[in-house]
Amino acid sequence: MLLGIDVGGTFTDAVIIADGKVFAQAKTATVHENVLQGILRALDMVLQGNDSQITRVVISSTIVTNALTEHQLDPVFLAVIAGPGMNVKNKFPVQPYEVSGYVDHRGKVTAQIDWSKHTDLLNTKGKGAAAVSGKFAVRDPKLELELAKCLRKNGYDPVFCASELNGELNFIRRTNSAYFAAATYKLFNEFAKDILQALTQRKINAPVYILKADGGTLPLNEAMRQPVEAVFTGPAASVLGIEALVAPVLPAISLDVGGTTTDIAFWENGHPLMAKHGAVIDGFPTAVRTFHMRSIGIGGDSQVIKQSDGTYRVGPQRIGKAVAVGGKEVTLSDALITCGLVHFGDEQAACEAVGKFGEARVEAEKIVGNAVQQIMGTIDSMLAEWAKQPVYTVEDVIKGTEFKPEVLVGVGGGAPGLIKALGEKMRLPVDIPTGGMVANAIGAALSRPTLSAALRADTTDGYYIIPESGRKEKLPSNFGRKKAEQVLKEYLQQKTAEWNLPDQDVELVAYEFFNTIHGYYDSGEIFNLRMQLKPGILHKLTVVDKELNIDGQEQTL
Amino acid sequence: MKNTLGLTFFPAFDWYLSPGHPERQERLLYTRDQLEEEGLFDCEEIKEYRPRLAEIHDLQRVHVGVPSIARLITPAHLTSAGGCLVAADAVMQKEVKRSFALVRPPGHHAMRVVHGIRGFCTINIETIMVEYLRTKYGINKVAVVDTDVHHGDGSQDVFYHDPNTLYISFHQDGRTLYPGTGFPDEAGSPGAWGTTINLPLLPTTGDEGLHRLFDGLIAPMLEDFQPDIIINSAGQDNHFSDPLANMQITAQGYARLADKLKADIAVLEGGYSVESALPYVNTGIILAMAGLDYSRVVEPDLSELRPQDVRCNQRVDELIKQSGEIYFNRAKMQKAMMDKCNGVWTRKKHIYYDEEGIREEQIETIRYCSCGGYFTLKTAAEGTRFGDQSAFIVCLPRQACKKCRDKAHDEALKEKKTQKWMYVLIQDIATGEIETV
Ligand SMILES: [Zn+2]
Ligand SMILES: [Zn+2]
Repeated sequence: MLLGIDVGGTFTDAVIIADGKVFAQAKTATVHENVLQGILRALDMVLQGNDSQITRVVISSTIVTNALTEHQLDPVFLAVIAGPGMNVKNKFPVQPYEVSGYVDHRGKVTAQIDWSKHTDLLNTKGKGAAAVSGKFAVRDPKLELELAKCLRKNGYDPVFCASELNGELNFIRRTNSAYFAAATYKLFNEFAKDILQALTQRKINAPVYILKADGGTLPLNEAMRQPVEAVFTGPAASVLGIEALVAPVLPAISLDVGGTTTDIAFWENGHPLMAKHGAVIDGFPTAVRTFHMRSIGIGGDSQVIKQSDGTYRVGPQRIGKAVAVGGKEVTLSDALITCGLVHFGDEQAACEAVGKFGEARVEAEKIVGNAVQQIMGTIDSMLAEWAKQPVYTVEDVIKGTEFKPEVLVGVGGGAPGLIKALGEKMRLPVDIPTGGMVANAIGAALSRPTLSAALRADTTDGYYIIPESGRKEKLPSNFGRKKAEQVLKEYLQQKTAEWNLPDQDVELVAYEFFNTIHGYYDSGEIFNLRMQLKPGILHKLTVVDKELNIDGQEQTL
Repeated sequence: MKNTLGLTFFPAFDWYLSPGHPERQERLLYTRDQLEEEGLFDCEEIKEYRPRLAEIHDLQRVHVGVPSIARLITPAHLTSAGGCLVAADAVMQKEVKRSFALVRPPGHHAMRVVHGIRGFCTINIETIMVEYLRTKYGINKVAVVDTDVHHGDGSQDVFYHDPNTLYISFHQDGRTLYPGTGFPDEAGSPGAWGTTINLPLLPTTGDEGLHRLFDGLIAPMLEDFQPDIIINSAGQDNHFSDPLANMQITAQGYARLADKLKADIAVLEGGYSVESALPYVNTGIILAMAGLDYSRVVEPDLSELRPQDVRCNQRVDELIKQSGEIYFNRAKMQKAMMDKCNGVWTRKKHIYYDEEGIREEQIETIRYCSCGGYFTLKTAAEGTRFGDQSAFIVCLPRQACKKCRDKAHDEALKEKKTQKWMYVLIQDIATGEIETV
């Protein structure tokens, strides 16, 4: 049995999945100041004697996100080897200590670290966490590792090496990722220990995983090494939940309509589209991979304000329950009820509340219209962003990379009414699967481990490097594409074994090949490839027959 | 508007002329790596654009292809030209302050008439962009500053009769480098004399000589000409490490030039030191154009850098004097030359297409009128991929009057009747329509 827990802004959900079905589920209020407390309550509600059969636990929590957005970060000593290029002042959350030395784009060390310039670094005892990052360390990590070693010797612990966290180009993003990893390390580790202890007390000895922003899971002890990956997992869980419930095969836009926000994602061939760039944390671009998605401040409980010109503005504030279920002020849900798009609670009370603005039906349509318009605006800007993805080959220019949605998929409590209205406006069919109430926790429970790594080989220099491993190796003889793929696949399989992950297919996600000419005589070949464990969910849900309200009241559909 | 740069980056990783050719897939690979590693695409001062495919009529505002431009190009050409058009739109629609089309294939050796590939170029992407700016946005006065080490003989050819385009090219002296042209006395046809300015520099000229020339001549000419828009043909083969030429410019030299020139739109041209120069020169130009600090952009290996020859500055000073006179006295000279030519001006050209071994003979004739007149091109080429071919071409400038248009049509019909030509074509520059007579 698989246990999934999702900590959201409002609710903490837990589900147990067995034989492709939701076996048990629980919903409780999130305790913002004490995320763990909410998790344990949801856990105890859902377990009720099922504890011993749990084979896997996946947690999607707001712990890292909260720490980042509320600036509860540990101090970090950041040292960078920036070399020639852009001025990196103000590019990181803290001013970096700049270390001499340089590695060029081919991975050649063109200048060693001149330690005589850094006697202050050598002579001061350090404490706490540090992050180190070197430009092109993903092409040769030698200087970055040398710097890390020096800091460790001087008392910094832990020391995060940026190129090990992420093997892709972008020095600024890698550096920021390493900084945020160092800054959330302690907090995350304490959280992880508390979780393990709580599970042991409940006699659950199954492996524990943390959900990542890219929708994959990470073993808890690995997550301690890269806690920043656990940021923004709520939206990721929602996307996985949708994958478990529907997995739209046609090009689709999914909308997870909660009480406060709506999460929007794009789908193709049954999989959510990944963003081409990492997440931006607190204004700083990072290398943390996420889905191509947006959150907009519109949900079922969104506040409705009538403006002086007679138009309405929905959200981004949430004001509590709808009038239909005992609230005091008009929410978007009340307007949806009045329009007849959705049916629940005291529908007459909802109509009367909306009626205070004018003729109820007319005003309700205007309110829903505003919400729909805002969502369409967000969708349009997401489409535009997707269409603007850079293209580097003539073939891609001709092929185009446009995304043309053919269906809308809605989940979440506020979804049914809103998506219908949106579908009419966008002239797209809508699909509203059942079971969406705890979709996030289902997504977490069913998510699969993700693991990806890059390989670069340069035959002129006779080496290959897998940056995530921190190792640069001599090229074996008769090296070619086949061999490159084999080497990288073996690395991923070895990691899979180390992490005790189930066997999973490895897929090639990026491949580049160039013939090179160096000077007048040397010719060679450059290979750039990236492979990953196939992401996604373990399996789809077969039956969903119950919906759930807060505090575990089940509601039969 | 904020100081922002629109960057259209298209490295054409699947386009090459032949294996091992300087124009090969690898050319912008290291530049891509550098720009990505620097994180330039994440700077809020830099906005990324993707190229689109240009239309055939965009190309035909400049070119007359024989048998047709469509049969001479590949989709790669439509993409690099389209990249320039995207860059132009971004500036004209005020989405960004400046634009850089960092695209390939390049174009400044492609002339108006095209029989094949010369100097790695088939179509002239900057001039296509200039005519697009005129048609779409009503731009009139344009300055093009060509900072490639080779003389931009194609751009010169396209602008030679156009007094509204100031074309300035500095380059390594044609006596020592392809294409062997680009001397100060090639200054335009009579009606446009002094709006083509060629500045041949001696080999080994470095940052010092280049900036001496810029401050002493190029800047004052631009100040005087008052263009509506400044375009930079941003070739990078003046770099000290370039394998095709012998100059000594550094990334700092190029970046400072971009900073001073403040081009509205820059377009990549040549530059074949793909590993040692392009990553740094492009980073420098991008930072400078985006108004960011470029002082740290220094090549990691400066061991090949040589001081410039003592004669380099002397040459620069001579050019400042000589070409300054050509430019600043152009009105007087234009009048004198027009009086002398009696309404008709003709020149002969021998054009060699190094890439394909094509030899072309051309006779170009302008018939002046108070509207500016029109011009004709008689062309015969040997050894093209379509065999030997010939054409009589009439070019109608934007401002050509009804009388000139009628006269030009009559001339085309008359030539058609002689049966001397395989093709008789009429180019309407404003619309990009080419009529087969
Ligand atoms: Zn050149
Ligand atoms: Zn006329």
